[in-house]
Amino acid sequence: MEIKPRILIVDDEEIVLDSCSQILEGSGYATRTATDGSIGLRQVAEFRPDLVFVDLKMPGISGFEVLERIRTLDPSIVTIVITGYATLASAVEAMQKGAYDFLPKPFTPDEFRLITRRGIEKRELVLETIALRREKELLQENFAAIISHELRAPLSAVQQNLIRLMQELSDQVNEAQMARLERMKSRIYDLLEMIHTWLRAISSDIASIKENFGPTSVEAAISKAVENVYPYAVRKDIEIVVSIEEPLDPVHGDEGTLVEALVNLLGNAIRYSRSGSTVNVDAEQQTDHILVAVRDSGIGIAEDELPYIFGNFYRGRAGAGDEAGAGLGLPITRRIIEAHGGTISVTSKLGEGSTFVIALPAGGSGTGTHHTPEAGGPENPQGGRAT
Amino acid sequence: MNQGKQLLIIDDDPDFVEGIKSILESAGYQVDAAYNPRSGLEALKTKPYDLLLLDIMMGRGAEGIMVARKLRKDPILSQIPVLIITGLREQIAFLFPGQPLHPHLLPVDELVEKPVEPQLLLDKVSALIELAAKRKAGK
Repeated sequence: MEIKPRILIVDDEEIVLDSCSQILEGSGYATRTATDGSIGLRQVAEFRPDLVFVDLKMPGISGFEVLERIRTLDPSIVTIVITGYATLASAVEAMQKGAYDFLPKPFTPDEFRLITRRGIEKRELVLETIALRREKELLQENFAAIISHELRAPLSAVQQNLIRLMQELSDQVNEAQMARLERMKSRIYDLLEMIHTWLRAISSDIASIKENFGPTSVEAAISKAVENVYPYAVRKDIEIVVSIEEPLDPVHGDEGTLVEALVNLLGNAIRYSRSGSTVNVDAEQQTDHILVAVRDSGIGIAEDELPYIFGNFYRGRAGAGDEAGAGLGLPITRRIIEAHGGTISVTSKLGEGSTFVIALPAGGSGTGTHHTPEAGGPENPQGGRAT
Repeated sequence: MNQGKQLLIIDDDPDFVEGIKSILESAGYQVDAAYNPRSGLEALKTKPYDLLLLDIMMGRGAEGIMVARKLRKDPILSQIPVLIITGLREQIAFLFPGQPLHPHLLPVDELVEKPVEPQLLLDKVSALIELAAKRKAGK
């Protein structure tokens, strides 16, 4: 048997409460009423309604406060305000604060039934979204755990023994055999690295780097990243030219992941460059942003591919071949940059090269264009209500 | 010089244990192994080990962390140097991306990642034992 949707009506006019209850009678809802805000809030905690109608004008606790408290209690509860025509403005205000809709007095039974049905539909969508999101997170977490333990552990054990065997057998195998053992070791190493990269990409934890944010020098991050990819560049005979318009303000961030993001961009630039060419890293400050551009004159990216390159597992057509990566560097990079309140963009021409530009808000305390609203406020206050 | 030094490995993967045990034994260490946290903690009480090699991901999660916590609370056991050997990088890498991470679960600890190069393993083990000896002498 299906559970009846629960509806609570908070209004100081008994006649409104009675007529609403009557209208909904027999429509498959469980209905309760409350004659003022504090009774209403008690009912919310007890009755756990799916939908609450709140009269804005009541003696005692105001309708606005009731709305606010319901939101803190359970933001997934759908609220609809009841209001007179004369106070439409306050209905709009209530909706800006998170009410789903408003019901102007006087209303017909049909109007009330319709708005009730819409409210319940909204509630179902909200609940479904929450459930899906939870399921997705659970899947990701479990997947990460399975990969880390079930795939990585046996591979590590194999590798550990292989390494040891190579030592033990070093005077008993010939050169060609040792070379094969080396190949095995390097293939297993690649596999372990690939698992690591996948985990990094699917893990929902990139946002958690914010917990360690502090004033971070972009110059230092650039020089560490360049240092990191330097051996690779030398191997491919590619020169890395760094030009920084100093001084740059520090950014509010995490050096480790910024280095990782830059290493990804530099690694790509080198990977897709012809040997003998140059990769440029330019950094400058533009009022409240620090711009870092990584520019190569390599194979470039076709225009129709550009929209996809920041998605998971996408690998450019031109890059398919020996030089292909796992297709995860750019998505990880983008998530790191976005966690820093920054943006990443790309311009590219097939055969001529690509330029990736990172823009980070300047200022060690995380100011700039990305102000957080008031402290403790909800992350995303009712952005797309109109849809 | 490593003769007679007693090491204990706590790791739930016997194959992995075999791999590192043979490296350590070839360098003259005496190596015992325990394959779960509980028997590991019991073994630690039976004789004075010079060093513990501890896996983090055991059983149903990061049970190695629990072992480290218990050691830290014990006045005697907390003095044993611990080398954490883990494939855990992916879980905590966010805190220390690209760096060998060092959680400092214990007064004397170090971390290496699975799989570990034999020479690196031996270097870390002897450095930790030496450091612990110095700490003791300094007191």
